[in-house]
Amino acid sequence: MTAPVIEVEDVWVRLRGHTVLEEVSLAVHPDDFYAIIGPNGGGKTTLLRVILGLLQPSRGTVRILGATGAAARREVGYVPQFRTFDFEYPITVREMVLSGRLGHVTHLPRRYGPIDHARTEEALETMGIAGLADRQIRDLSGGEQQRAIIARALVGDPKVLLLDEPTVYVDAPTAAQFYSILDKLRERMAIVLVTHDIGVLPEHVTRVACLNRRLYTHDTNEITPDMLEAAYHCPVDLIAHGVPHRVFSDHPEEE
Amino acid sequence: MFEILGFEFFRNALIAGVLASVACGIIGTYVVVRRMVSVSGGISHAAFGGIGLGYFFGIDPLLGATGFTVATALGMGALQLRARQQMDTIIGAVWAAGMAVGILFVYLTPGFAPDLFSYLFGSILLVPREDILLMGVLVAIIVAVVALLYQELQAVTFDPDYARVMNLPVERISLLLLVLIALTVVMLIRVVGIILVIALLTLPAAISRLYTTRIRSMMVLAVALGIVFTLTGIGLSYLLDVPSGATIILVSTLAYAGALGAERLRQGD
Repeated sequence: MTAPVIEVEDVWVRLRGHTVLEEVSLAVHPDDFYAIIGPNGGGKTTLLRVILGLLQPSRGTVRILGATGAAARREVGYVPQFRTFDFEYPITVREMVLSGRLGHVTHLPRRYGPIDHARTEEALETMGIAGLADRQIRDLSGGEQQRAIIARALVGDPKVLLLDEPTVYVDAPTAAQFYSILDKLRERMAIVLVTHDIGVLPEHVTRVACLNRRLYTHDTNEITPDMLEAAYHCPVDLIAHGVPHRVFSDHPEEE
Repeated sequence: MFEILGFEFFRNALIAGVLASVACGIIGTYVVVRRMVSVSGGISHAAFGGIGLGYFFGIDPLLGATGFTVATALGMGALQLRARQQMDTIIGAVWAAGMAVGILFVYLTPGFAPDLFSYLFGSILLVPREDILLMGVLVAIIVAVVALLYQELQAVTFDPDYARVMNLPVERISLLLLVLIALTVVMLIRVVGIILVIALLTLPAAISRLYTTRIRSMMVLAVALGIVFTLTGIGLSYLLDVPSGATIILVSTLAYAGALGAERLRQGD
């Protein structure tokens, strides 16, 4: 088995007297499409923030490509929850995507070179927004804005892409289009997708975990009733609408 | 009215107005896009504390204001990193406490405080040559820092979380921006006074935002607008024989109202 791109080991997070994450361990491998589901407030975003180094865990370690330092985070592409930043900011799509290269520009003063610009055009092309490159981000539709945010995560040539609730604010066709893009990206990088909506899990997920303070997983791509019950603390109806394949194993009939 | 240009004080006033507009346009752009208007208001009113201390210890009040304002900005920045929720209240407290410190120390200073009023409401027609020199140096520093750190400042003011993921020194750059705001505020005290600083810092940039799509162009237009407003204000105040600082602010505010109204009409089509 190849070495994991992300290793989370026994991570605990306490925020304002509450335990948000408890004994969370997980490993993401280069060919993984890892889905983490769980209720709102279950610690999904917190776990991503710990992985990204935005939040220091009370206990435990996070290794990215085997390293714990901040420099390794350059290998991580991050797609934050939609609308966490100000869309009124005067910035064009191209500038925003280009800004994702800034972590790779280390000599001072930081200036972009030909590689940075080439990667930016590539990412714009990949996400199908090259024609919108000179528009302001506030003038784009929701789906276009989201593709711009993913393009920004792609320009850094990440080994792993973290997505936080990527489909919450987009309509169903846009979400479908979005998942087909993710399928293409899978060939180039590991993907970690966090969502509260168990109905949207895409076809090619390789691993699923449920997170509600603790992480429940069988290290497979199946959600089992015991995982869900443990995570949601109540029986959950395993009805999935429009799921292109069956992520749920057969579960015993109760009535 | 052109014979007035023969007087050195008037030429100094025009130069001071242009220098202040350059600083305002550049720093005001960040203040507007990062929505730091109230933080800047707190910093500028805290400057009065520095002026009071300056009087009390017998140093140049503007020098006292520089030290005190920079220290306040750094303090607010440190608090902002720790107590994001209560920031609103903290700004209000710093705002009032700075003024209170100023009033107390001016009161405790024996004798009469000569041009206290001019610090509060500005006196661009009385700016001495040395102050012009100091303003020139400050503008040079601001332009140089922003030119060198343009990409970092953009990344940090646009999406600080993402900037941190990219391993940029987000805290240091945020603090640096607050220090630049503090220095700009001190420069503006001479031109429009502590009470009116916030308007000149934000209005040209806010108008410019309506017509530009990038930080760089927003800065250029804001500088140009600032120059137009200050020079118009100085000219009008001379013609009508009214205070210059207040005239500059009213010219800017009217322009802002006009721009907003025009934008409304344009979008209504």
